[in-house]
Amino acid sequence: MSAQLLQPAFADPVLDSQRGFRAAMKALAGPGLVQTLQATPSLEGLAPATYALCLALLDVDTPLWLAPSFDTPLIRANLAFHCGCPLTADRETARFALLGADELLDLSGFDHGNDRYPDQSCTLLVQLPNLNGGKRLSWRGPGIETGHQVALPVADGFWGERERRNEFPRGLDLFFTAGHDLIGLPRSSRIAQERV
Amino acid sequence: MHNPVPHAERQHWIGVLARARRSELQAHEAALRDVEYQLIRAPEIGMTLVRGRMGGNGAPFNVGEMSVTRCVVRLADGRTGYSYLAGRDKVHAELAALADAHLQGPRQRHWLEQVITPLASAQADRRALKEADTAATKVEFFTLVRGEN
Repeated sequence: MSAQLLQPAFADPVLDSQRGFRAAMKALAGPGLVQTLQATPSLEGLAPATYALCLALLDVDTPLWLAPSFDTPLIRANLAFHCGCPLTADRETARFALLGADELLDLSGFDHGNDRYPDQSCTLLVQLPNLNGGKRLSWRGPGIETGHQVALPVADGFWGERERRNEFPRGLDLFFTAGHDLIGLPRSSRIAQERV
Repeated sequence: MHNPVPHAERQHWIGVLARARRSELQAHEAALRDVEYQLIRAPEIGMTLVRGRMGGNGAPFNVGEMSVTRCVVRLADGRTGYSYLAGRDKVHAELAALADAHLQGPRQRHWLEQVITPLASAQADRRALKEADTAATKVEFFTLVRGEN
């Protein structure tokens, strides 16, 4: 029985998940801007923002792929209980995926959607130690007036990996989370490779 | 992990708790709440789809939706109690979940005698009364031979 592992989730399920959803929408509408989620529950191994996104976005229709580092009995039990989402072992069937910084160099297998239904792609939730301290890059594209300077601490190889899987309108949307903060990176954002 | 309570027994008392009236459970409210506990899933109201089969064995069809209230509590010693019940009564859901948690503990016999048995017999009485009332309204239809052939 996994009942021993269960923990309370949102204090106010309706409003808190609406806040999480709103933050996710704003993060994708303004790529590179930090959204902060206050008063979110935490679970050992998951940052508050990651857990809040999971609680707001996942349900019975969204199979989730868990990176090995997140695949603990505690996380499995609580996501299954509070979100009711199926957990899947193969990336092709996942609608959402939960990754750490180490998994960013291999994004193979995740669904990019197709030309008729690009919205059916898999959305990646990437938990990082923090959202700062990496190489400063200039993000451009829809939702950004001129350019946003973002310094995500991710390996250089990630940007090429993302570019290879980005054939508009197909592609992968990502959320980066750390602590209570999150940043959205939709497929439409263009990342300038040169050092700014 | 081994489950200490057999399913059939637990199904029985969860059913009795769900069918009980709120006022009947509130008689035990002080005893039920006299323990440290946390709400894993605070009482919440939702909808569920009820499906049926014509005559009990036909093709399934959707009867309609009904409101359901559910709750999960955990006592300080780690026992979890669940409740699902028809209607929109959050207090009832919380008390029923607490009772389920208590019933899985060492004082199970005490709780069965104090809560479940009286509730079950009250429900049986109500059911028998209703069935008697209904039986009195039964009409036997018959057709006279009309001499058509």
